[in-house]
Amino acid sequence: MISNMNLYSRGDKFFAVASTVLVCIFTLSTLYPFLYIAAVSFSSGFAVTAGQVTLTPVDVTLAAYERVLADPMFWNSYKNTFIYTFVGTAVSLLIIIPGAYALSRPQLLGRRYWNFIVAFTMWFNAGMIPFFLNMRDMGLLDSYFGIIIGFACNAFNIILLRNFFEGIPASFEEAARMDGANEFQVLWKVFVPLSKPAIATITLFCIVARWNGFFWAMVLLQDKDKLPLQVYLRRIIVELTDDEEFVSSTLTALYSFETVSAAIMVCSIIPILMIYPFIQKYFNKGIMLGGVKE
Amino acid sequence: MANKRSASERVALLIRHFRREWQLYVLLAPTIIWFFLFLYKPMYGLQIAFKDYSVFRGIEGSAWVGLEHFRELFHNEQFTRAIKNTLILSGYSLVFGFPMPILLALGFNEFTRAFLKRTTQTIVYLPHFISTVIIAGIVISAFSPSVGVVNLFLVKLGFDPIYFLTKPEWFRPIFIGTGIWQEAGFSSIVFLAAIAGVNPSLYESAVVDGANRWQMMWRITIPSILPTIIIMLIIRIGNILEIGFELIILLYQPSTYQTSDVISTFIYRQGLQSAQYDLAAAAGFFNAVVAFVLVLTANTISKRVSRTSLW
Amino acid sequence: MSDVVLNKIVKRYGDITVVHGIDLHVKEKEFVVLVGPSGCGKSTTLRMIAGLEEISDGALNIGDRLVNEVAPKDRDVAMVFQNYALYPHLNVAENIAFGLRIRKTPDAEVKNSVAEVAKTLGLTQYLERRPADLSGGQRQRVAMGRAIVRHPDVFLFDEPLSNLDAKLRTQMRAEIKRLHKRLGVTSIYVTHDQVEAMTLADRIVVMRDGRIEQIGTPMELFNNPINTFVASFIGSPPMNQLDATLGMHDGDFIAPTGAGSIRIKASVGLKAAVGKKIVIGIRPEHVSAEPIENASELAIELDLMEPLGSEALLHTHIDEHPFVIKAETHGAIDHLQKLSKIYIDASKVTVFDAETKMAINSPNQEFK
Repeated sequence: MISNMNLYSRGDKFFAVASTVLVCIFTLSTLYPFLYIAAVSFSSGFAVTAGQVTLTPVDVTLAAYERVLADPMFWNSYKNTFIYTFVGTAVSLLIIIPGAYALSRPQLLGRRYWNFIVAFTMWFNAGMIPFFLNMRDMGLLDSYFGIIIGFACNAFNIILLRNFFEGIPASFEEAARMDGANEFQVLWKVFVPLSKPAIATITLFCIVARWNGFFWAMVLLQDKDKLPLQVYLRRIIVELTDDEEFVSSTLTALYSFETVSAAIMVCSIIPILMIYPFIQKYFNKGIMLGGVKE
Repeated sequence: MANKRSASERVALLIRHFRREWQLYVLLAPTIIWFFLFLYKPMYGLQIAFKDYSVFRGIEGSAWVGLEHFRELFHNEQFTRAIKNTLILSGYSLVFGFPMPILLALGFNEFTRAFLKRTTQTIVYLPHFISTVIIAGIVISAFSPSVGVVNLFLVKLGFDPIYFLTKPEWFRPIFIGTGIWQEAGFSSIVFLAAIAGVNPSLYESAVVDGANRWQMMWRITIPSILPTIIIMLIIRIGNILEIGFELIILLYQPSTYQTSDVISTFIYRQGLQSAQYDLAAAAGFFNAVVAFVLVLTANTISKRVSRTSLW
Repeated sequence: MSDVVLNKIVKRYGDITVVHGIDLHVKEKEFVVLVGPSGCGKSTTLRMIAGLEEISDGALNIGDRLVNEVAPKDRDVAMVFQNYALYPHLNVAENIAFGLRIRKTPDAEVKNSVAEVAKTLGLTQYLERRPADLSGGQRQRVAMGRAIVRHPDVFLFDEPLSNLDAKLRTQMRAEIKRLHKRLGVTSIYVTHDQVEAMTLADRIVVMRDGRIEQIGTPMELFNNPINTFVASFIGSPPMNQLDATLGMHDGDFIAPTGAGSIRIKASVGLKAAVGKKIVIGIRPEHVSAEPIENASELAIELDLMEPLGSEALLHTHIDEHPFVIKAETHGAIDHLQKLSKIYIDASKVTVFDAETKMAINSPNQEFK
C-alpha cells in the first residue's frame, strides 16, 4: 500500500510488528512439521527411538533412504503414480479443453442446458456407493484405465476454463473466422495459445490431484502392482504403525519404522516441491481469471 | 409475425446450424458423455437406496423396499452418531478455522517488504498441495506416544505421554487443528484478493486525513472485504456436511469412533468395507439431499448478499 | 466487380429489431463511412456484411453474388477490428500470415506476400516482434496488414482508430486514406467520430436507431443536413439550434428570438411554414463577429470563451438555448472578450420543422 516508511507513527510501527509476528508464527508452525519429518528421515533409527530428534537430524544417515529405495514396491508404486499423473492429466486436458471451449461459445444451441448439466454436479452428487457400483458395472475396477478415465473431468475445472474462454474478446475468434479458420483451428491456434495461464493452472490442479489422490485408488485397485505411491504410503504409515511385528522388523540401529516412513514421505513430497514454483506462478493468475490483456 | 417461424422453417434452420457448427458439438461430446457415464449414471444407480440390492440381480432387478433402509438408518445409533459428529466437527472447524485466513490476509497486507511477504505466502500455501496421506503421516508421527515430538515435549515438561490418536477426546482438536494448519494459508488467498481490490486512493486519502494503520485496517480494509467475508461464511455454512473424510479414514480407529465417525466414513465402512450397498447408498442419498438443499440455500443467499452488498 | 449492395437488410434479435431494412449501394472502389451514436446499428450492419452476424431479412450482394448464406471466409472480405485482434503469441509476420496459413498457402508465397505488405505499411523492421512490443500505431498497421495480405474485394473497418490517442488517430487517418487511394479497394468503415467520417469518406451514411438518416458526401451532409439529428451530429462544435416561430416581415422570412430577429433567405417550402413552430439551425462557423452585409444583427452576452489559437469558441445563449460561435482570433482575443453583437448571414440559416425535425429549406444549394 503506502510505501513511505516515514509516514509511520510509533503506533503504526507497533502494529506492523504485531502483524509480522502473527504471520511469522503461523508460517513457522506451517514449516516445522516438514522440517521435523525431514530431520527424522535423515536421523538414525536409534536417535529417533530415543527421542532425540526434534528439529535437526541426529546421527545423520541415509540408511532410511537406502532401505526405501531398495524396495521394489516403492519403485513400482512410484512408476504407477507417474502413469496416473501424466496420462491422467493428458486425458483430462483432452476432454476439458474442447468441452470448455464449446460451452463458452454463444452459438452453441442449448448452451444454458449443457452448462447446467455440468454445473449441477457441483451441487448434487450420487455419492460414494453408486459411483463405486457404476465403476464396477463398467468393469473399471482394478485397472489403470478405470483410474485414468474415471477421474478425468470435473465441473470446477471446466467452469474455470470456460469462464476464461468467455473473457477472450470475440474479435479474436471473428478475425480467425474471417481468415478461414474452422472451430478446431480457432480452438487450437487461437484460444489455446491465448489461454496459457488458465490451461497451466488446470494442468497443475490435475497433476496435484492425481499425484495426491489415494482414496479411490485404495478402493478401486486390488492388484498390488497397480497401486500408486499414496496407497503404498498409506499401507506403511497407517496400517503398519500398529503392526508390532513389522515395526520391530524394521528396527535396526541405523533406521527404524519412523525414519523409513519419513523417508517415503519426503520422496513423495519432492515432486510436488519441484512443480510448486509453477503452481505459485499460475494459481494466482488462474484463480483470479481476468480478461486477456493485449 | 415475421419472426414466428413455421415448424419446417425451424427444422431447416436447425439443419443449417448443424451443418455449419457441427464441429462445436464434436468438441462438446466427450465432456457430456463423460458427465453422463461417470456422474449421471450413478445418480440413476441411487435408486438402490430404495431397493433390496442384490449384486446378482443388479440395480434394476432388485426389489423395491420403499423407505426401509432409511427407517433402519435412523434406528442405527452409529448413523445418528455420525450425523452428530459431522455437525460438531464441521461446526468447530468453522468457528476456529474461519477467522484464521482473514487474520492471515490482514497480516500479509501489513507487510511492507515484498520479499518477506512472498516467502511467507509461499510457505503457508504449501500444505494445501500436500497429500492427505502425508498429512496423516505427519500427524501420526508427531503425536506418536513413544517418539512423537509432541509427547517428547510433554515428557520434558513433566507430564505423562498421551496416546493421542486412541483417545476420543483428543480426536476433535487434532482433526480441527490439522485442518487449520493445512488450509488456513491457502484460504487467505480469497481475502488477499479482496484486499488487493480495494482502491488504493482510499488509503492515500486516509493518510492525508491523518489516519494510522490500525484505523485504516478497521475503517477501510475490513469494511471493504466484509462482503467477501460474508459470502465465504455463507458458502462454508452451506457446505457444512462436506468434511475432509479422507483424513478421518486415515486417522481414526475403533477406539475413537465415538467422536471421529462421520457420515462419509460410516458410508465407507458400511458400503465399501461391509458391502451393505443399499443401506450405505441410502445414507449417501440422505447426505446428498440435505447437502444439496443447504448448498442451494447458501447459494441463493450469497447471490442476494453479493448483489445488495455491492452498494 | 466489387460493389456491395444492401437491399432491405434487417437484423432481429428475438423480438427486438436493431436494423430496420437498410438500403445501401457501395460502389466499387468507394470509401463509405457508417457513422452514428452507439447503438445505432452501424456495427451490426458491418458485421452482417462481414458474415459475423446472420442477416434476418433482406439481400446482401458482394460483387454479383448473393452472400446471405456464404460463410465469412468465403465472402472475400477482410476486417480490421477495433481492438485489432492481434494474436499475442504470434509475431508480426505470423500475425499477418495467419489467414494465408489457415488457407494452406505455400510457404514461399506467404513469405513474399508478408514482405510486400510489410513494405507497404513500413513494418519490415518489426516483423519479428510480438504485438506486445509494438506501439499503438504499429499494432494498427499490423491489423491492416492482416487484412491487406489476402487481397480481398472489400475492406471492413470497425472503429479501427478508437483505441489510439488523438495525435496518432489523426496520423493513422491520413494513412488509411492514402492506402485506400493506392489500393483502390472498396471500403466500408464504421465510426462514431464524425471527424473521421468527414475526413475519410467519399460518402457518409448517418445512422440512428437502426435506420439510415441520410447518405451523402461529407459536404452535402455538412451544408444540407436533412434533419436536426444529422445537423447536430455532423460538424464540430455542432450546429446551434433555436426554437422560434417562422414569420414574415417586409417580404422577408424572419425568425424572432430573444436576441433579435433572424432573417432567412427565401427558398422553396418556406412559405408554407409561415406561422409554424420551427427550429433554426446556425453553424458556429457561420456566425460572424464583425458586421457583414445583408446580415441579421443579434445582441448577445458572452458566457465563456475558449481560445483555440487561430480560432476561439464563444459560448453564449439565446432564449435559454446554448449558442456557440466560432470566431477568428487574428492572433488576439481581446476584441472578442467584449463582443456584444453577432451577425448572421440570411443564406446560412437552416430551417427545420419543429414537429418532424426535418429540414424545410436547403439554404446552401443554389436555387435558380
